[in-house]
Amino acid sequence: MNKIKIIIKREYLSRVRKKSFLVMTILGPLLITALWLVPFFLSHTSDSQSRIIVVDETGEAEPKSESLFKNKIKSNEEVKIEYMDDITAAQTLLKAESCDAVLEIIRTNDMPPIKSFWFYSNHEPSLRAQTNVETQLTTLFKDYYLKYNCGVPEEDIAFINNPKIDFYSKNILTGEDSYKEIKTGLGAICGFLIYFFIFLFGSQIIRSVSEEKMNRIVEVLVSSVKPAQLLTGKLIGVALVGLTQFLLWIVLTFIVITAVQSAMPQKFSAPQKEEITINERVISVDKLQDDENVQVSQIIQGLFSINYVAVISMFMFYFIAGYFLYASLFGAVGSLLDVDTDGQQFTIPITIPMMLALICIPMVMNNPSGPVAFWLSIIPFTSPIVMMIRIPFGIPVWEIILSVSLMLITICGCLWLAAKIYRTAILLYGKKITYKEIWKWLRYKN
Amino acid sequence: MSILNVNNVSKTYANHKALNNVSLQVEKGEIFGLLGPNGAGKTTLIRMINQITAPDTGEILLHDKQIKASDVSLIGYLPEERGLYKKMKVGEQAVYLAELKGLKPSVAVERLKIWFEKFDILSWWDKKVEELSKGMQQKVQFITTVLHEPELLIFDEPFSGFDPINTNLLKEEIVKLKEKGTTIIFSTHNMASVEEVCDSIVLLNKAKNILEGKVKDIKQLFKKNEYEVIIPAEYKIENMLCEGCKLIKKEYKDATEISILSIEKGKNAELLSKILTSTDILSYREVLPSMNDIFIHTINNYKS
Repeated sequence: MNKIKIIIKREYLSRVRKKSFLVMTILGPLLITALWLVPFFLSHTSDSQSRIIVVDETGEAEPKSESLFKNKIKSNEEVKIEYMDDITAAQTLLKAESCDAVLEIIRTNDMPPIKSFWFYSNHEPSLRAQTNVETQLTTLFKDYYLKYNCGVPEEDIAFINNPKIDFYSKNILTGEDSYKEIKTGLGAICGFLIYFFIFLFGSQIIRSVSEEKMNRIVEVLVSSVKPAQLLTGKLIGVALVGLTQFLLWIVLTFIVITAVQSAMPQKFSAPQKEEITINERVISVDKLQDDENVQVSQIIQGLFSINYVAVISMFMFYFIAGYFLYASLFGAVGSLLDVDTDGQQFTIPITIPMMLALICIPMVMNNPSGPVAFWLSIIPFTSPIVMMIRIPFGIPVWEIILSVSLMLITICGCLWLAAKIYRTAILLYGKKITYKEIWKWLRYKN
Repeated sequence: MSILNVNNVSKTYANHKALNNVSLQVEKGEIFGLLGPNGAGKTTLIRMINQITAPDTGEILLHDKQIKASDVSLIGYLPEERGLYKKMKVGEQAVYLAELKGLKPSVAVERLKIWFEKFDILSWWDKKVEELSKGMQQKVQFITTVLHEPELLIFDEPFSGFDPINTNLLKEEIVKLKEKGTTIIFSTHNMASVEEVCDSIVLLNKAKNILEGKVKDIKQLFKKNEYEVIIPAEYKIENMLCEGCKLIKKEYKDATEISILSIEKGKNAELLSKILTSTDILSYREVLPSMNDIFIHTINNYKS
């Protein structure tokens, strides 16, 4: 209808031209990039490294043996390890605050020649640095014990420290590899996106409808168009705004991340190499790299094994259907609000199923074909989120058909319900609306 | 020739009857007053004409045909509860509202320029509505109501919120629209404006039509044969009354004596000649009841 088009155009343009839209469009990708960059930089800045001086006395024990820890505790992104022999000198440095902590390993003449570990600091050292050193000490101590007390050869110790097993899973029916983690991850991302979209733009519908009611333009409007047309135009207009924003976010995020990566290429290949040097002690570098290649190629294979036509088309369906389902109800809620009414009593019943779906995500991820997953992916109010997590695993066609058709029927029902409430409520001022009243409207004819 | 016929329309909401078998008829080219106390059913009736709601029973005819969705382009409606999008620019908003009434954007812009020029508000075109005062917003609202040149205009309390200058401006425009042949329905409590502009009226009370007709006929119907006589102050009217004449009240002003007399039919000539033998008559006229009096009288009568 021509009038709906005019309404859609206004709803769309008035939002897209707003400053807040521009700000959100630019801020979104920057936030996403920041979320990804900040932890990365935090873990790579030298500021976060604690400088720790190790004084290992075990080398001086009687009978004479080699130092157990000297030069074996490694520096990494959290700690910078230095070695000294004189504990007093080290403590002087600590008092002068030129290091963060001093670790003293006191010898004994027994075997193993360790009496105690003392960790000195003048302020509380970072917990991560302390744990880091502790873990390294434990491993070294275990290695020492296995080597000298149990006589285990060094290659075996290396294996014990890093027993690498890969878990391959295969679907017995299709013979395909199932790549559970990758699929779950993809499904969860899709589900969250849908949730985010519904809430961000659904709440805009509430605000926009109640604004039209409260500034009293709505009576002018409904003398030109049918209330249902007005609501439909608004729902579609806002949906298009949402899609535009999402598209811009995806494109801009991609551009920003690519730009950041190409600006500092060495920074982004660095972390993996560092990890390799931590484990160097145990496994040779090229073997590890091999492992990594295997992992990467597994992810790629996992991603390839997903039926993208199904995932993308279902994503689009649930993305849009979920939006219309909730947005129509939000439209009804918006029409019920008045200057001093509290919208909570109407919004809470609508948001509960959404919250339920969100809470059940871990359960569905654990068991994508269990009864909880099944039922939540069939019920229209939770299916947009839950079904998206299940779809990458491949689910029976009849379940999809059932879920989709229930969804379509429910959308029609909700639109009908919303139109009915909306039509009456937008012209009702200064009257407290109760559920009982709404029930009466629903039973009106015409 | 009637443009709008409302025939036996009833509407019941959940707990009250908003309209009870109401019929009325609006002639083409007249200004029609829709009167009644709060809650009488005026807004419900207006909303039905605008097809915002539908009657339970009865029918509404426009040009003798059942009113239909496409007729909204023939009707212009200025509701009592009115507003505009606060954040939208004035010009853009006016074009949008015109488009919803079926006007092409280019035509809308052309006509808007003419109206804006006439109201001397062309400089507001790119201003946001929230920057305008309430009176300014009302002007814009009026323009958007008449822009699509509807045959039937419905104004619900059009003057509320206008200052006297803008009220006059608006009245002039309404009269001009009438001269062009537009039919206007006027819903109001403001009885002075009814007397000034309305040709006929309907009085609704408690969902029913309790009085209707031409303003001048209704006044004749309610007149109480009262006359105002003004004579120089040095004479006393009491001394000149004949049989069948009664003094109702009297006051002195600017060296004149102004009296209201109740005069039985056929006694006018006798009274006049009696007065003229003593003094000059400065003014002599029939006092017709004001619409305000008729309104209150009818509603109170209806109650009892």
